[in-house]
Amino acid sequence: MSKRVAFSMAALIAAPIAVLTLSLILRPQTTAPKAPGNEVQREKWNNVPPPKSAYAGKKSAPPPRRDISGIWDAAAEDGGRQVSGALEHPAFFSRGKGPNGRADQNGEGSEGGYTDETGIVHPLPYTPLGLAALKANKPSGPGVRQVPSALANDPADHCDPLGFPYMELYELRTLNLVQTAKQVILLSPYYGNYRVIWTDGRPFPKDPEPRWNGYSVGKWVDDYTFVVETVGLNPKSWLDHAGRPHSEDLRVEERFHRVDHDNMELTVTINDPKMYTQPWLGLNKFPLHLQPPDFDIPELLCSPSEMAAYNRDIGDVVVPEQK
Amino acid sequence: MRNRLRTNPLVVVGLLAVSLPLAAHHGTAVYDTSKTITVKGTVTEYVWANPHVYVKVDAKDDTGNPAHWVLEAQNPVSQTEVGWSKNTFKPGDEVEIEVKAAKNGKPVGIINNASRIIINGKQFKP
Repeated sequence: MSKRVAFSMAALIAAPIAVLTLSLILRPQTTAPKAPGNEVQREKWNNVPPPKSAYAGKKSAPPPRRDISGIWDAAAEDGGRQVSGALEHPAFFSRGKGPNGRADQNGEGSEGGYTDETGIVHPLPYTPLGLAALKANKPSGPGVRQVPSALANDPADHCDPLGFPYMELYELRTLNLVQTAKQVILLSPYYGNYRVIWTDGRPFPKDPEPRWNGYSVGKWVDDYTFVVETVGLNPKSWLDHAGRPHSEDLRVEERFHRVDHDNMELTVTINDPKMYTQPWLGLNKFPLHLQPPDFDIPELLCSPSEMAAYNRDIGDVVVPEQK
Repeated sequence: MRNRLRTNPLVVVGLLAVSLPLAAHHGTAVYDTSKTITVKGTVTEYVWANPHVYVKVDAKDDTGNPAHWVLEAQNPVSQTEVGWSKNTFKPGDEVEIEVKAAKNGKPVGIINNASRIIINGKQFKP
């Protein structure tokens, strides 16, 4: 074998090794974050988002232009989700004194003081019809108006679709946003929700047949703000887990504002003149945090058979005795 | 016979001070959150499913009669976040679990993130 042939063969072997080594070195850091103190997460499946504190003071690159794609975690509190329905108008656990004069974790009382006739400290601008609809809705979820699940009438408790904007005003967990030439696709694991937001300039349907997720169109109002309008929403769904109602006239605006590369803010405006005398904010600059591209979102579906088993073993058993 | 079901007042004070209910799908209105009890017995079934994970425990009441407890936590994703898995309990495990019991007196309880859990003599640490 000549020296030349030997050299060529060595190069043939060495070159792929060099490329492989270099690619390993240059490979972007895409390992999913690990929740502190949680040793269960050992592989790239069913990833757990980091606690809110992990984002504090973290430096970020500038935002990309006209791009909200990626996997985004809603870290309103440690654990990475919001739980109280429309956060701007809390109807959740007390942080002050309840009507019984003590801090209560059980849904009595409310944030900051006493409840009003609606049971909520910060009442929304209900119309008379809106207030009547609110009172007819019996939520099983945590909040000042909570009733035992067997006495509740939340459609979501029976594995009906959450619908929109319920899916954003309660249990907003980790979202996968996908952008194509004519669509932004929003995938939410909770109740297996997906929405298509059209960006091809089409008008709304003239007389929309109501849909659980409505009809959505979106446009960029500047290079970092994507605004979505949604109409044609099914009034069978509630606005949130606190039982706030909406009519078929509901119109929702979502404003996705990319603050920088790693952070986005979501503002949701509710406009339903039948139920509310003026528009109000369901979410106000609600923080979303970009996750690594290999973050695997766990499944969180509502299964009717699993729900039936749960109600048989627990939900129907713990109902208070009727007097 | 020794009581298997007991109340621990020290634990009650601690829980009131530190625990915050999280992401309760169905809330906790039906549970007496003012006191903590410990259910001690043998696991008969462990259900790792939506809407909530739960474990069935055969215990004995104050008079030594069998009591079939059902103890729920949150959904599998939330439980994964605090270190639980589909293998946390198995039938036959001897357990002691702190819960808030149902207000209506039925043997149903809710486990929260501050609950002390002992499985086969060892404290559960995720």
